[in-house]
Amino acid sequence: MENLNSNSKNIPKELWTKIDDTEKNKEQISRKSLTYFQDSWRRLKENKMAMIGLSVVIILILIALFGPMFSPYEYSDQNLSYSSLTPRLDIYKVSDDSYIHLANGLRLYRVTESGKIIELLSATEQNLIEKKITYDVKGKTVLLDFENQPFKLLDGNGNEYSYHDRVWNKTYLFGSDDLGRDILVRVIYGARISLLIAFVATVVNFFIGVLYGGIAGYAGGKLDNFMMRIVDIISTVPLMLYVILLMVVLGSGLKPIIIALGSIYWVGMARIVRGQILSLKEQEYVLAAKSIGTRHWRILTRHLLPNAMGPIIVSMTMMIPRAIFVEAFLSFIGLGVSAPKASWGTLANDALGALRSYPHQLFFPALAICVTMFAFNFLGDGLRDALDPRLRK
Amino acid sequence: MGKFLLKRVIAMVITIFLVITLTFLLMHSIPGGPFTKEKKVPPAIEEALNKKYNLDDSLPKQYIDYLKRIAKLDLGPSFQYEGMTVNKLIKDGFPTSAKLGSFTVLLTLALGIPFGVLSALKQNKWPDYIVMFLATLGITIPAFVLATVFIYFFALKLGLLPTFGLDSWKGYILPVLALAGYSLSFITRLTRSSMLEVMQQDYIRTARAKGLPERVVIFKHGLRNSILPVVTYVGPMIAAILTGSFVIEKIFALPGMGRHFVQSITNRDYTTIMGITIFFATFLVFMVLIVDIVYLLVDPRIKLDD
Repeated sequence: MENLNSNSKNIPKELWTKIDDTEKNKEQISRKSLTYFQDSWRRLKENKMAMIGLSVVIILILIALFGPMFSPYEYSDQNLSYSSLTPRLDIYKVSDDSYIHLANGLRLYRVTESGKIIELLSATEQNLIEKKITYDVKGKTVLLDFENQPFKLLDGNGNEYSYHDRVWNKTYLFGSDDLGRDILVRVIYGARISLLIAFVATVVNFFIGVLYGGIAGYAGGKLDNFMMRIVDIISTVPLMLYVILLMVVLGSGLKPIIIALGSIYWVGMARIVRGQILSLKEQEYVLAAKSIGTRHWRILTRHLLPNAMGPIIVSMTMMIPRAIFVEAFLSFIGLGVSAPKASWGTLANDALGALRSYPHQLFFPALAICVTMFAFNFLGDGLRDALDPRLRK
Repeated sequence: MGKFLLKRVIAMVITIFLVITLTFLLMHSIPGGPFTKEKKVPPAIEEALNKKYNLDDSLPKQYIDYLKRIAKLDLGPSFQYEGMTVNKLIKDGFPTSAKLGSFTVLLTLALGIPFGVLSALKQNKWPDYIVMFLATLGITIPAFVLATVFIYFFALKLGLLPTFGLDSWKGYILPVLALAGYSLSFITRLTRSSMLEVMQQDYIRTARAKGLPERVVIFKHGLRNSILPVVTYVGPMIAAILTGSFVIEKIFALPGMGRHFVQSITNRDYTTIMGITIFFATFLVFMVLIVDIVYLLVDPRIKLDD
């Protein structure tokens, strides 16, 4: 004590100064502590591709929900005289205020300069032997000569009408299908159906898979062994085969697809959850919960499953594009929703026959499927990296 | 090895048995018999038909009869095509499908592994970016979209390849490419990530330290180890190619099993659906078993007594 006193007396007086606040608070943790999900969100935000995916998904959902409101057509509205029109129209000028467009199948339409369709013109005279059809466009004669390709549009004196421009079809932005239905509104309705199926099927799979895997993992032993053998047996055969079988039995339509998808595709989720629970149940907090007499059910639902949420969410986001894909696949082989309802798969299937003449009918649904798959896949990859950094590769 | 095989074969038999039972029950739970049509068949004829195909027996008896017939490898008659048996449909269609499928598997492995290795060795350089971009495209674009895009550009626009049929070798190109799209991309990604992991291992550093040429390090030490996950994926890959070929055969109008299957679904030809499903399931279970055995042979580290 005396020694210490003498020591402190030796320190020169000017060193004894009061420290200021910045020095004092140096050790304090200034950053706000983040929860698991805040932290994951921060990581997700840094991933550009995932954020693009997320925005596309949100836009898709908004379009699917509100898009049909802004469309003048219903998905089932038919107009046979406007069938199979392309999204781009080649128009010819007849006079200053009248333009015409020649569609496949020798159909001549009167259109506006900007590409709005006014009417299907009916012939005033048909000469099928010389392969000439005469129309009357607002007092001017138009002679369609279809003897040789390319077809000629002639006026009364035999001069060709001048090619004016290639414009967007303002009546049907994405063109129309073989029954004269607007493809744009059908693709939007298709988005509704595809997203609905994906969402419901994923939620159903989530509940069945999480419960099944959770119980198997938590119970362990013989029950676990038995339950997992069932999963093994189900997943030896491609799930698509079961779904097809179920669809054959249940008939086609929206509900059967959801039931078929929901009753099979949980096996992947069950496996993941079981694996997580198996390792989590050895943790001390489970022991602590058990020691104070918590019921098994509560331990499983309140302690174990929330801790396994990362991989569960990741596998859910991976499930969504798969469900969309399966639905498109089923619709494509003729087991999907029935007409006049349309999903992307049925739209693509319907367009296949007319691929040569009307590729636009296939292009838009196919593009919609691809964009959606891209968005969900990127979002899923990003979520995997964000929620479960150990899995990052 | 013997014990492992025995266990696997038993599991296989159980799986096939369950698939048969499930298909049987599902197909018999459909309201109305196979001869129920929009146009009502006279009751006497329906009765005669039911008698001919033993549909008036009790369900358990029908089930046992069906099992007996399958044990004799007889999948029964088709209910839609006169004089056609499911066996004959399979015999007609399977060679085409098998040819298409094996070309696809070969292409997938022959391109996927080298691409994956290239991508891993040039990580974050332009070859990697190009390969990964294509692989992402391949995973996200469904086979039927890919197939129709191929038809549109290569067959209709450029006129280089036929749109349907398998008359010459050219006919195979588009179906095989469309069918391979997904699996090829998946294998590329798998090889890449597994190769990246392996190349960071200590034994790779050791191999380099003792002065082995880079070629030996990459192929003998790196590739040999990173190929294991690829082998595990071959089983699911065959399944994916098989289900994929349903649509591919439909689009390209190829006379394979997949097309028969899709047609039997549209025609509601129940015996054919049952027969082909059982055939597919059995075939796949066999393939998975073979893949497992190959895996054992490739990886000496695996313990057999598990």
